[in-house]
Amino acid sequence: MADRRSFVADPVIAAHAASPLQGLKRPGEFGALTDDGPGVFLTERTGLSIGEVASWKDSEGKCRVAIRAVAGVMLNVAPGSGTAKLEINVFNFAPGRWLVAGTKPDLVAQLAGSVGEDGSVTDLSHGRVVIRIDGPKSRWVLSKLFAINFANTAFARGQGLATMHHDITALVQRVGEDAFDIHVFRSFARSFWSLLRRSSEEVGYRID
Amino acid sequence: MTSHRLTSGGRIDRTKTVRFTFDGVRYSGFAGDTLASALLANGIRLLGRSFKYHRPRGLLAAGYEEPNALVTVIEQGVREPNIRATELEVFDGLVAQSQNRFPSLGHDLMAVNGLAGKTFSAGFYYKTFMGPAIGPLKGTRFWRFCEHFIRRAAGLGSAGTVPDPARYERMNAFCDVLVVGSGPSGLEAARKAVAEGKSVILCETEAALGGTANWSGPDAASFAETLISGLRDNQDVRLLNRTTVWGRYDGNTFAALERIADHKAKPATGEARHRHWVIRAGHVVLATGALERAMVFPGNDRPGVMLASAALRFARSYGVLIGRRIVVFANNDSAYETAAILHRLGAEIPAIIDPRPVVGDWAQSLADEAGAKTLPAHAIVGSGGDPELDSVLMQPFNLETGKLSGPKRGFACDTLLVSGGWSPVLHLASQAGTKPVWSDKLQAFLPPEGDDHWHAVGSCAGEGIEPPAPVFEIKAKGDKAFVDFQHDVTADDVRLAHREGFQSVEHLKRYTTLGMATDQGKTANVPGMAIMADALGKPIPDVGTTRFRPPFTGASLGALAAERFADLRPERLTPMHHWHEEHGAGMMSAGLWMRPESYNQPGETVEDAYLREARIVRRGVGIVDVSTLGKIDIKGPDAAEFLNRVYTNNFAKLAVGKARYGLMLREDGFAFDDGTTWRLANSHYLMTTTTANAGPVMQHLEYFLDCIWPDLSVNLTSVTDQWAGAAVAGPKSREVLAACVTGTAVDNEVLPLMGIVHGKINGIPVMICRLSFSGERAYEIYCGAHHGQAVWNALIEAGQPHGIQPYGLEALGALRIEKGHVTGAEIDGRTTAHDLHLDWMLSKKTPFIGSVMLTREGLTDPDRWSLVGVISSSGEKLRGGSHIVEGTKDAPGRSLGHITATCLSPLYGKHIGLALVENGNTRIGTRAFATDPVRSETHVPVEFVSHHFYDPKGVKMNG
Repeated sequence: MADRRSFVADPVIAAHAASPLQGLKRPGEFGALTDDGPGVFLTERTGLSIGEVASWKDSEGKCRVAIRAVAGVMLNVAPGSGTAKLEINVFNFAPGRWLVAGTKPDLVAQLAGSVGEDGSVTDLSHGRVVIRIDGPKSRWVLSKLFAINFANTAFARGQGLATMHHDITALVQRVGEDAFDIHVFRSFARSFWSLLRRSSEEVGYRID
Repeated sequence: MTSHRLTSGGRIDRTKTVRFTFDGVRYSGFAGDTLASALLANGIRLLGRSFKYHRPRGLLAAGYEEPNALVTVIEQGVREPNIRATELEVFDGLVAQSQNRFPSLGHDLMAVNGLAGKTFSAGFYYKTFMGPAIGPLKGTRFWRFCEHFIRRAAGLGSAGTVPDPARYERMNAFCDVLVVGSGPSGLEAARKAVAEGKSVILCETEAALGGTANWSGPDAASFAETLISGLRDNQDVRLLNRTTVWGRYDGNTFAALERIADHKAKPATGEARHRHWVIRAGHVVLATGALERAMVFPGNDRPGVMLASAALRFARSYGVLIGRRIVVFANNDSAYETAAILHRLGAEIPAIIDPRPVVGDWAQSLADEAGAKTLPAHAIVGSGGDPELDSVLMQPFNLETGKLSGPKRGFACDTLLVSGGWSPVLHLASQAGTKPVWSDKLQAFLPPEGDDHWHAVGSCAGEGIEPPAPVFEIKAKGDKAFVDFQHDVTADDVRLAHREGFQSVEHLKRYTTLGMATDQGKTANVPGMAIMADALGKPIPDVGTTRFRPPFTGASLGALAAERFADLRPERLTPMHHWHEEHGAGMMSAGLWMRPESYNQPGETVEDAYLREARIVRRGVGIVDVSTLGKIDIKGPDAAEFLNRVYTNNFAKLAVGKARYGLMLREDGFAFDDGTTWRLANSHYLMTTTTANAGPVMQHLEYFLDCIWPDLSVNLTSVTDQWAGAAVAGPKSREVLAACVTGTAVDNEVLPLMGIVHGKINGIPVMICRLSFSGERAYEIYCGAHHGQAVWNALIEAGQPHGIQPYGLEALGALRIEKGHVTGAEIDGRTTAHDLHLDWMLSKKTPFIGSVMLTREGLTDPDRWSLVGVISSSGEKLRGGSHIVEGTKDAPGRSLGHITATCLSPLYGKHIGLALVENGNTRIGTRAFATDPVRSETHVPVEFVSHHFYDPKGVKMNG
């Protein structure tokens, strides 16, 4: 198991970390596959540090600057705005609240240092599971689960939204042309994964 | 039986024969047929029995408005009743049954109801069965006795009991323009919207797009085909056939049902049977068309009497000629064209009967083309044939007076086509609250003018509808004259309702059931209102119209529920879930969480197991998964002040690195939740809540921060899932920790009760708080959830020398009852801090949520129920929920309270419990009974004791 990518970013404790999807996530191609290949690709993001930054009522701007200092990305003031890069994703999901997910092992500590007294930073690296759905049919499958307009024009790349699955909070960020990251509570990850698989069956799906 | 299939024509695929059974008889049709068209092609015209009188019924219509031909489809043992034969597409292996008949469609014993004449008039059941007393059966009891027989005789099919294996899905969609209906007007509206750069969803309830273009002739068909192919190629357009938009809700949100696999023998891989669409549209175009109305006259329901438009559809769409010798009865010109077309296809049209005194030139030329004799100023007054039509009876009719006079004449025929005018399908406009507008010219209700959010086009807006003569009913003596075919409501029923005082259209509907059931009166509402208006002597618009409500046509419950139940029901699992399962735990749900009930060893019952587990905790050491406890991160410069206001006791003075037990009240002063909150830094607290109350507590806190105290700088984040938690409890718990925790000491000095330390287990960072729910020395060890299993394993390993064993919820419950700790069973929304003996936690110095209400009379009443312990004096088992009474089993007297929790005490071997009892404090040492008269019929003598059964001074947990 030594070469398996760690589930958490911190290399010191990575060896003991276990994904909630362990045993459930079988790589392969499933469902109604066509010659065009799978309609969607499902992956669990691994090796992530996840932090939530929350500002006080008058410190939104300062928190944006503090996140920029750590993540190196500009943040827009518009609700839901964000950036998706290979090593770091940031998006605003509520007034004065941002989710930052990245591969830096000490991301949360860096954020806490940068934000300082201007807000609060909460480590959610263990509390959230990030599932990526990509592929030509990703919008069709996601539309079964979320009452969100996933159209190109309505949901820009980098943007994020707080929504629900099973009436339970989930966060969605568009991270590519057809790719979306879904942040779900760890305890619900298996249920959500099963639902996502079932919803993808009619378009064919690949699990990496 | 003769074949009614024409040699050519129709939108069916004659190269693909489809075999199906109806009432056990095998038939064949073609791909593209509906059950109705395929049966008609086979000469089958008797398709059902009526609701009340069990009269033989055939097809009235050809689409979703069909009131008679409801069938039950049986697939994989699953019965689905009330499918309209006119919408059911045939496929190989389809099994359909007629409904509402016994023993068979041809010979229905219940048809005797029809002989009872006027007996079964409107309100019959209520009048007959609700009032009288027959022997011992009075009033409601008599009704209940009769109900069984009535329900057997009346009704619309019967639902199955086998679980439905089909899949159902939900889909959310957004568009600039939603077009409902794909007839020429709808297609044109869609084309226009697309040309303006808008995104479009177009829904068509039928399998084929095109609507009326599919049966209006080649010109219309090619016009539609051009538009459809243009739309198909556009990526901003989604064309949804077999999709009925059945509901319109606020914000232009629409509900639609897509029937994906009903027309297939087997759905494709991963394919749902139905898909429930929720469409949010900027604008909606209603291109829903208009429905032809029947005429009301005696015997108008005989199989063979059909709407003229339906006959046209069967001929043009399915290549089926409905009859050989067809009489037409119409109050407008539209049926004349149908007559000419059917004549061209081979039917003989002996006569067209028209109540209007003069037939126009265009109509006359069509009648001539049909070779039909026109009989203006005449009306049909009866029909003959058993069960199918073989003749009609007509008589001169005066349109001005509505009177019949002169000799009656008979016509032999096998089919009577009727046309009583057209009603625009304005349901979706009405559902949004708009009021229909009556058109005298069209004798129909039209939707009002649209606005930014919607508009109607085509015949839905009244365009191109042939104006009819204002005649809805031919009042002739003879057989029953039906207004609502599906619910067997006759013209006489409507008049009876009027005589009995039901004059509002809403009352008329409820009394007679006109317009109810699966077709919602699509062909019946306007004629019914016309008859009521006539009885009242008022114009039709003054009688009003009922508002339409969703659904337009039935929607499957499976689609509404979609895939979120059964095996896709969400479950919350702790990081150690699979370990529990692998170690024999029976899992039980606690809200959405799954928690171990007990770890049964071979041969053990749950009771054996929890007694063993609890005793191990009392004598050695046990471990329990507490990851499910709600956890909320509270951060900010005002966090301490916030908690001071939220809890009844002080948290501002709590030292960093210490935890405190806290109690929250609601604003009304009643207890809300309890738990420990840990101060991790000066402006950082970690609050724990009960498992069940985590969500409500979070909402409670957010509400106060957002709405009541927006000036406080405090942030809340749910970290329930961030932390895995294990409680290690028992006299030997400290030894277990000492064996595996590094980086900190765990002795009493460093880690006293309510102390918090940070350390590592196997290199994994952990946070340990010394807390006790069981009453023993105990510690809660928290780590990142992804490490939960690793830390759990390490604790189990370290505990092996001390005989550590896991314990489940049952043992946890027994231990807390012995200790007298309260949970949600006691904090039930009706108890105060005083009732639960938690008044020592109420701060006297600072106000907190609920504090101002504590002195209310009702909350300080000395007779309030308060918490006590109970012990079964007889050794019998106690049952939770039993009432505490002072009397005997036969005369128990009033309830003094109830038992909230019970167990067989692992420590004392007795049945004990906690109870909330009136004036509980004064009852300690006295006796009463725990009575459970309904469930177990037990009446157990109990003794009241302190709720602290075990270690009341807390020596064990402090030690």
